[in-house]
Amino acid sequence: MMELRTQRRTMANVPWGLVAVVLMISAVGIYNLASASRPPASPVWLPQLAYLGLGVATVVGIAFVDYRFVQSATIPIYLVNIAMLLALKVVGHKAKGAESWFVLGPLRLQPAEFMKLGMVLMMAKYFHDDERPNNEGYGFFRLVPPVLISMIPTALVLVQPDLGTALMMTFTAVTIILFAKPKWTVLVIMGVLALGSVGVLWNDYVRVQPEPRMTIIRHKLKKHQDARITGWLDPTSDLRGSNYHSMQSKIAVGSGGPTGKGWMQGTQTGLRFLPEQHTDFIFSVFAEEQGFVKCLFLLLLYAGFIITSLSIAASAKDRFGAFVVVGITAMVFWQVFENIGMVTGLLPITGITLPLMSYGGSSMLSVMIGVGLLVNVAMRRQGFRP
Amino acid sequence: MKLGGPREPKELRPRVFALGSVFLFGVLVLSVNLYRLMVVRFEEFTALSIDNQFKDVRVRAPRGLIRDRHGEVLVDARPSLDVFITPAFCLKCQAEVIPRLATLLGWDDDQRQKVEQQVKDTRGPQRYQQLVVAVDLPRDAFDLLNAHQMQLPGVDLEAVPHREYRAGSALAHVVGYMNEITVDELTKFNSSQEDRPPYAMGDYIGRKGVERAFEQVLRGTDGWVKEVVNARGEIMRDLKGEVLKRDEVLPRPGNNLVLSIDSRLQAEAERVFPGTAGAIVVMESKTGFILAMVSRPSFDPNEMTGRVSSQRLAALSKDPLQPLIFRAAAEHYHPGSTFKVVSMLAGLRSGAFTPQTTVNCTGGYQLGARRWRCDNERGHGPLQAHAALAFSCDTYFYRLADVIGIDPIARAARELGFGAPTNFGVAAEVPGVIPDSAYHDKNTPGGYTKGMALNASIGQGDVNVTPLQLAVVYSAIGNGGDVMQPQVVQRIETPDGALVEAMAPRLTRHVEITPEQHETLIGGLKGVVNEAGGTGFRARLPDITVAGKTGTAQVARLGQIRVKAADMNYWERDHAWFASFAPAEDPEVTVVVLNEHSGFGGASSAPAAGAILKRYFELKKADAQGTAPPLPSPIASSAPVPKAAESTKVLPDVVPPREPVEARDASVPGPGDPLVPPHEDLEAPR
Repeated sequence: MMELRTQRRTMANVPWGLVAVVLMISAVGIYNLASASRPPASPVWLPQLAYLGLGVATVVGIAFVDYRFVQSATIPIYLVNIAMLLALKVVGHKAKGAESWFVLGPLRLQPAEFMKLGMVLMMAKYFHDDERPNNEGYGFFRLVPPVLISMIPTALVLVQPDLGTALMMTFTAVTIILFAKPKWTVLVIMGVLALGSVGVLWNDYVRVQPEPRMTIIRHKLKKHQDARITGWLDPTSDLRGSNYHSMQSKIAVGSGGPTGKGWMQGTQTGLRFLPEQHTDFIFSVFAEEQGFVKCLFLLLLYAGFIITSLSIAASAKDRFGAFVVVGITAMVFWQVFENIGMVTGLLPITGITLPLMSYGGSSMLSVMIGVGLLVNVAMRRQGFRP
Repeated sequence: MKLGGPREPKELRPRVFALGSVFLFGVLVLSVNLYRLMVVRFEEFTALSIDNQFKDVRVRAPRGLIRDRHGEVLVDARPSLDVFITPAFCLKCQAEVIPRLATLLGWDDDQRQKVEQQVKDTRGPQRYQQLVVAVDLPRDAFDLLNAHQMQLPGVDLEAVPHREYRAGSALAHVVGYMNEITVDELTKFNSSQEDRPPYAMGDYIGRKGVERAFEQVLRGTDGWVKEVVNARGEIMRDLKGEVLKRDEVLPRPGNNLVLSIDSRLQAEAERVFPGTAGAIVVMESKTGFILAMVSRPSFDPNEMTGRVSSQRLAALSKDPLQPLIFRAAAEHYHPGSTFKVVSMLAGLRSGAFTPQTTVNCTGGYQLGARRWRCDNERGHGPLQAHAALAFSCDTYFYRLADVIGIDPIARAARELGFGAPTNFGVAAEVPGVIPDSAYHDKNTPGGYTKGMALNASIGQGDVNVTPLQLAVVYSAIGNGGDVMQPQVVQRIETPDGALVEAMAPRLTRHVEITPEQHETLIGGLKGVVNEAGGTGFRARLPDITVAGKTGTAQVARLGQIRVKAADMNYWERDHAWFASFAPAEDPEVTVVVLNEHSGFGGASSAPAAGAILKRYFELKKADAQGTAPPLPSPIASSAPVPKAAESTKVLPDVVPPREPVEARDASVPGPGDPLVPPHEDLEAPR
């Protein structure tokens, strides 16, 4: 009887708004993929549809397991993810110079996508367990464990090398730490660090100085990474070379105009001027063909996602739930921000997918696992009285 | 709330609100940026996206043909089966495709490495351009590659139009050749403002002869079309397989050229040319149009047109015979006795000599302490103008020069066309040298002396002329004084054959020759060929009166012991000239033959000229009757017979001081002074 009540109550707590937003973005994504992968490319929207089905099933599956069970299994989940990243070094599949894939028959798994979730869970568990109501501010010592928790997998991803995902993990981890309300001294230090990195960037890339240039980290970067930063800071530096992709993407987006060229009518898309147009540069396709108004609508859907999921965090019944929700929301937000930022020339190009829009099973699945956790936390929130 | 149970984390709510605000602000930033790109800069990016899709493709205009005066094609295009690699589409290029290509085409290691390096060196957008890796494949190699096309990704086989010189090395210097335009020429020919410049990298451009001089006529205008391409530069097609394009500007083919060359006469001239090196000029006496032109040794313009290796080019330029030099106009020689008509005209004009003036030849001429020897040591005895020319008596001209000096001779020579370029236009020319007293005062140590006039009067000393100049001068003497500008292009026609421009004969100047002077000169020249004892009897024709003059240009200072010509070093043998026109009374055609280092006087040059003249009149007759011309007769005297040249004469004891000569031809030991007068009349029956 009690259980039934719980069940009914949790069912009533399903965040339908969030679910609707997720399904709408996914639907737009598949519609857009059909255009991005029009003949002669293989029609990847069909497998994407299958991944979406799998994702929805995952959401449902995860929603019905109480997240407190997940909470108890956090340490093994985290360790398994770390182990997967290490295993990549041994049996990973090399693609575009990075070891980031497991190939299991027809499936290609990207452990880094799942590591992000593992990291969020582990950090949430730490901040849950470490709660001290009388001593709220986090000082340096109390922040050592979460920093380690985030730095170990980030470092593993960075050496794959997958700078983009590592950056996303860093941003997500920093967001979670900030959300935990560190002491002001920590904030000052973080601010100094942020200023410092801007300073390094300025010294290495912007400042006019005599040759040989005195650089701090630039000489340690890989050539393509260096070129991307140069291209981002000065879009006209190498139009036919490394900056070609950024420029072509901007041309695609800009030429979309207010109303777009029409579905399947994008010339940048059809003539394949866009690199990775069904994954990293999927937004350029959407912008070129659908135009500014519908882009705004898509951004509103992402804003809807942020609002609905953060409202779950606000009503979560414990710190673990709230931190998981914040972490997942931060993860999705940073990916959206970096992805759309890079295709519009606002940010340097890193290989980051647009959640729910880009083609890819691992990406879809990791986002859907996150959504499942969001739904799960929402369903078990308190203070809801039907 | 149960004790020990999870506490609702109410303290997080403000932070959630703050975080949400930050995130939404981020979304706002993205929206503003999108607005900036998609609404504010919409037109700029639209223009860029249109630029992206359309590639300006150049459509090369076919180059004009070159024909002879009867319409026979001398130069056109043939398909060259070429192999290209587009590096961007060449998968596993270094590992598989190039080795496979090397095996199929039988390349050696050097060649394969060269291609590998070429492919490796391409960068960025260059990788989407075709690289030529092999040209002029034989048909079966082409078929073999075609059969293996599937294993050769990024390798294209195409039949590319390639300039073909049908006559091969004949006429090579006149027609010229082509090769790739240089970067300097590109900047010269293309003004920077032009969106679609007339020349592009990789274009061929005329290099010598007509190809160069008439480059702009032959070239035409390239067409342009905007083709839809994808990011890889691949041309897109619609469902029917048609190329998607717009704004097509069709190429305008180049105009055709009709040369005044008669290829049948050219073939005869090539056939009868008697020696290793030299030149033949066959010209219409009254118009200056060239009928045939030989410069030996020659080169193959087909090879020079983009098919020549650097080693081969080096070998060509190091060849002591210098095949790249156009001997008809870009090289000068002592004219020898052919110059005597000029001296004669100068003498007659001076009034000091009349046709009846008699000089007694005793085998030489005494001037001061030195004796200038006549060719005939026994002496010609007393002779007048006519015989002096017919028997080529040097003594007569020594006397003439002694009387009138060098300046009247130089004046007559320059008037007739020596000493300055003929303005042939098609080839580079040297002006030649006509010395006068001022010239010697300036260039010779000790200044002008009478002896120099004596040397000049018989076409030695510093007198240097080109075969083309000699043809112009003999035409002028034959036609009564009209110095014509030689031309080789007769008409410019459109590709359809409509006339664009017909070249009119161009008169350089008219030289005053009185009928009496004319009669004397023509009479003497007729005697050379047609009288007993005339030096040019071998050019005689049965039904046409030929007028001509032999000449032997001494090249080397001879040693103390006279040697047989056959035993002499090639480079030290004399040049043999024959200059002629026919019919003598009303000349139609002028033939000049120069046989370098033949060593046998007029023995070889005169028969060659005779054969060409004979062929000219045969062809003329056949054309008039509308019948096929008879086959050319066997060569009169193909190789000079050494026994005929018993030129074992005693060397003179006196060696006159050497006069300065223009140092131009390094391979020739340098023309010396006429120690021994020309001995062209050795062959003549007495």
